[in-house]
Amino acid sequence: MAERPEDLNLPNAVITRIIKEALPDGVSISKEARSAISRAASVFVLYATSCANNFAMKGKRKTLNASDVLSAMEEMEFQRFVTPLKEALEAYRREQKGKKEASEQKKKDKDKKTDSEEQDKGRDEDNDEDEERLEEEEQNEEEEVDN
Amino acid sequence: MAALAAGKGAFREEEGTGGDAAAPQPHAPTSAPGARLSRLPLARVKALVKADPDVTLAGQEAIFILARAAELFVETIAKDAYCCAQQGKRKTLQRRDLDNAIEAVDEFAFLEGEFSITG
Repeated sequence: MAERPEDLNLPNAVITRIIKEALPDGVSISKEARSAISRAASVFVLYATSCANNFAMKGKRKTLNASDVLSAMEEMEFQRFVTPLKEALEAYRREQKGKKEASEQKKKDKDKKTDSEEQDKGRDEDNDEDEERLEEEEQNEEEEVDN
Repeated sequence: MAALAAGKGAFREEEGTGGDAAAPQPHAPTSAPGARLSRLPLARVKALVKADPDVTLAGQEAIFILARAAELFVETIAKDAYCCAQQGKRKTLQRRDLDNAIEAVDEFAFLEGEFSITG
C-alpha cells in the first residue's frame, strides 16, 4: 500500500479548505505549495507522534494519551497550540460524553423491556413451585396421621 | 414562512431516514463556528500514528488532538508563507514562499530538508 509514512497524505480537499480559511479573501495557492503544505502536515503528525510517544514511555505507558500530545506540542515549541487544543479537547470530551449517555440510555430502555418480559416468565414459575409445596405438605399430614 | 417550514421539515426527514439510529438530535444546534471539532479524518491521522514503529497504541483523544494540531499547523504555516508572498506583492502562494517560511521560522526547523528530496 503506502511505501513510506510520508506518503500517507491527508485529503487535499480538506487541506485546501483549511488554507483558504486561514488566508484573506482573494488569495490563492499554487498546486505545488498546497501539496507541500499537505506533506508538511503529515511530517508534523509523525514528528508530534514521536515526541508524544517519548512522553508516554517516560510515564511507562504503552498508550498515547492527550496529555502526551500536549507535552509534545510544548517540546516542539508550538506552545501557542496548547490553549486552543485544550479547548478543543474539552469540547470533544463533552461530545463523547453526550454520545455515551445517549447510547447508555438506549441500552437501559432496551434492558427494561427484556427485564419486564423475564418477570412475566418468573411469575409463572413461582406459581408452579407453590403448588408443589402444597402437595408435599398434604403428604406429610397423611403420614403423621398414620403414626 | 410555510415554504421555509416545509423546507426545514424536508431536511429533517432526510436526516431522520439517514442516521436516526445513532443521532437522536439533528446537527442544527452545534452549528456554531467554534464547534467544528475536526475536519481532518481521524482514520488518516491514525494511519500516520501507526506508521511509527515505536508506537504501540494511541487513545482516541490523542488521535483527535493530533488531527486538530495538524489543522492549526496548516493554518499557521499558510499564514506565515503568505507574509512572504505579500512582501513580493503577490496574491498566489508559491512553493518558494513556503520554503522561505520554513527557513525563517524556528518552529518549522523540523521540515528543513523534507522537501528538497522531491525537489
